[in-house]
Amino acid sequence: MKERGLTPVQAFRTRERKGRFTGPSFFLRILLLAFLGATPFLFRSFELTDVILKIIIFSTLVASYDILLGYTGIVSLGHVLYFGIGSYFVGIFMGKLGWVSYGPLLLAFVLAVLTSGILSILIGFFSLRIRAIFFAMVTLAFMEFAFILASQLRTITGGDDGISFKLPGILSVEANFGRFGGVDLTGRIVSYYLILVVCFALFLMMLRFVNSPLGRVLLSIRDNEQRSIAIGYKTYLYQVVASTFSSCVAAITGGCFAIWVRYVSPESSLSVPVMLDVFLMVIVGGMGTLYGGILGAAFLMTTRAFLPKIQGIVTSLLPGMPWAIRFSERWLLFFGLLFILIVYFFPKGILGTVQERFERKRET
Amino acid sequence: MRPSSRPWLAKWIVVGIFLVPLLFIGLKTYITLTVSGLAMGMLFFLVASGFSLIFGFLSVLNLAHGALFAWGAYIGFTSFSLINRWTGWGGSESFLLNMAIFLSALIFSGLLVGLLGILTERLVIRPVYGSHLFQIFITVGAMIVLEELIRVVWGPDDEVMPVPIKFIGSLDLFDVVLSKYPLVAIGLGSAIYLAIHLILKKTRIGTIVRAGVENPEMVQVMGHNIYRYFTGVFAVGSALAAIGGGMWATFVKSIHPAMGGEVIVFALIVAIIGGLGSMTGSVIGALMVGLSYNYVAYLVPKGALGITMLLLVVILLVRPTGLFPEGT
Repeated sequence: MKERGLTPVQAFRTRERKGRFTGPSFFLRILLLAFLGATPFLFRSFELTDVILKIIIFSTLVASYDILLGYTGIVSLGHVLYFGIGSYFVGIFMGKLGWVSYGPLLLAFVLAVLTSGILSILIGFFSLRIRAIFFAMVTLAFMEFAFILASQLRTITGGDDGISFKLPGILSVEANFGRFGGVDLTGRIVSYYLILVVCFALFLMMLRFVNSPLGRVLLSIRDNEQRSIAIGYKTYLYQVVASTFSSCVAAITGGCFAIWVRYVSPESSLSVPVMLDVFLMVIVGGMGTLYGGILGAAFLMTTRAFLPKIQGIVTSLLPGMPWAIRFSERWLLFFGLLFILIVYFFPKGILGTVQERFERKRET
Repeated sequence: MRPSSRPWLAKWIVVGIFLVPLLFIGLKTYITLTVSGLAMGMLFFLVASGFSLIFGFLSVLNLAHGALFAWGAYIGFTSFSLINRWTGWGGSESFLLNMAIFLSALIFSGLLVGLLGILTERLVIRPVYGSHLFQIFITVGAMIVLEELIRVVWGPDDEVMPVPIKFIGSLDLFDVVLSKYPLVAIGLGSAIYLAIHLILKKTRIGTIVRAGVENPEMVQVMGHNIYRYFTGVFAVGSALAAIGGGMWATFVKSIHPAMGGEVIVFALIVAIIGGLGSMTGSVIGALMVGLSYNYVAYLVPKGALGITMLLLVVILLVRPTGLFPEGT
């Protein structure tokens, strides 16, 4: 055997590398990418494209959260804070300051990443040092603080109303590059592809991150922190690095979100409900998989997009029953119940459960 | 740096919070602000104490605590309205009748939410004891469900909280203006703190709970069914949250389904400052937060929450395990 003489990790790596471009999951991924690339031409309605782009952005955000939750095993309850920082930097530069051109847009992204990085290093320094559970509380407190700041500092952030803004050049709504395949190539389409490329790059980066030696250390911290300390790793530093990396990614996705919706408000990009969404997505999709976020985001976003229709059906099926209608309005209630059930019965989420089944099959 | 190496610093922070504002604020305003700060602190204490006790004893980070708080406010609202329609005590000129209706509404909501807490603990939290990660997930799920149930039962809109007539307005003591309700809140809060303190210190159950905060396994080894105590502590914590919710609603005179989320952050901060699982820590942390919030809100209206965060960061730097880490 060629694999003899290698450490188990190295053997695993070589096996992985061999099947990297031939395995079925590789083709699945290519297919998914091709589908996302063709979306604006496949579905010509804006609503569907909108849903799919939001799925793209949120699955990247959820994947960055998954690095913390599923790979490092620390719970942050304020991850959306960095998402909000990203979108607010874009919003303030484009809207409040009115610097509508490419340079400031790039600068906004750079500043957002820097701010998020520094902030998460600081938060990590304060809270990860003691107990990982403090991290959850402190991040939640900081997010709430940022939310209140964003809704109170009217002169900078536009308060509760938020900021709506225009984008420069080829990203603006007015831009038009003629027709192709029966679709108007507007600024919307250009921003769609820009965001797709950015999110794709981020995803590759995160895959590289979790599969690197550093990612291995993170996994060992998740599985047994005491033991990693005993081996000689400064687990606390590794946790801070993971949290900083994931917050930087979250800041970029936040900027992308702002570019797509051309609007930021505390409610849409910094609030607890958004955090809950991310949380639900990561659990539903499966922790520790990165790809699970795509499934989770797809599930939640499509349900939310088609909910009014479902409600319409319920109302027409059960006429004259105000209680039933009241319940159907509270769809989040059912998400919450579903969430609890998933945590009990499929603690690994959709993708994690599927992966486990496959692995068990391979072993037998 | 050992965490417990600087006990004096924490004490100076407490003293500083009391005295430094005197440099900037006139004496009369200072007294008014102090009273409302103490009242706010007592309300935070009620929420944070249950949260802290549950964390210390069950080691469950109960994120559904805010939802239980909101349930308390809503049940307090309904029972107050019902009792008032039946007896009319809320509009009576007698302070005692006012107090009676207020207290009965609070007790009612405490009891009902205590039951709700038992249900939550039994159905939702019991299966995941021992795993912090899953506890956080499950309590987030419970929070969503409980909050949405409020919207189903009472509707999604804000409601105006009725206040007993004698609690409105203010007293004038030697030219110092003191609102009435904060005084009631301080009195009730201190009474509840004393009650908890005595129960924890003087009774057998209290001793077992305090032992459980330090070492649950040992309590089990001594032959106590710790799960029964878990349920009990969770119920008491929920009841405290509910009483806090009812009093908070009377303080701000309005209730809405998401009100728990705003207060839970303060509860978190107070619990961290005081040391998780410590009652004395909770009350001192809560008073620190309440007072500093009020002083700064008067001096720099927009910086009020900033001072709370600053307090949290300073405490985390100076005493990472909180002011009273021993769980007393």
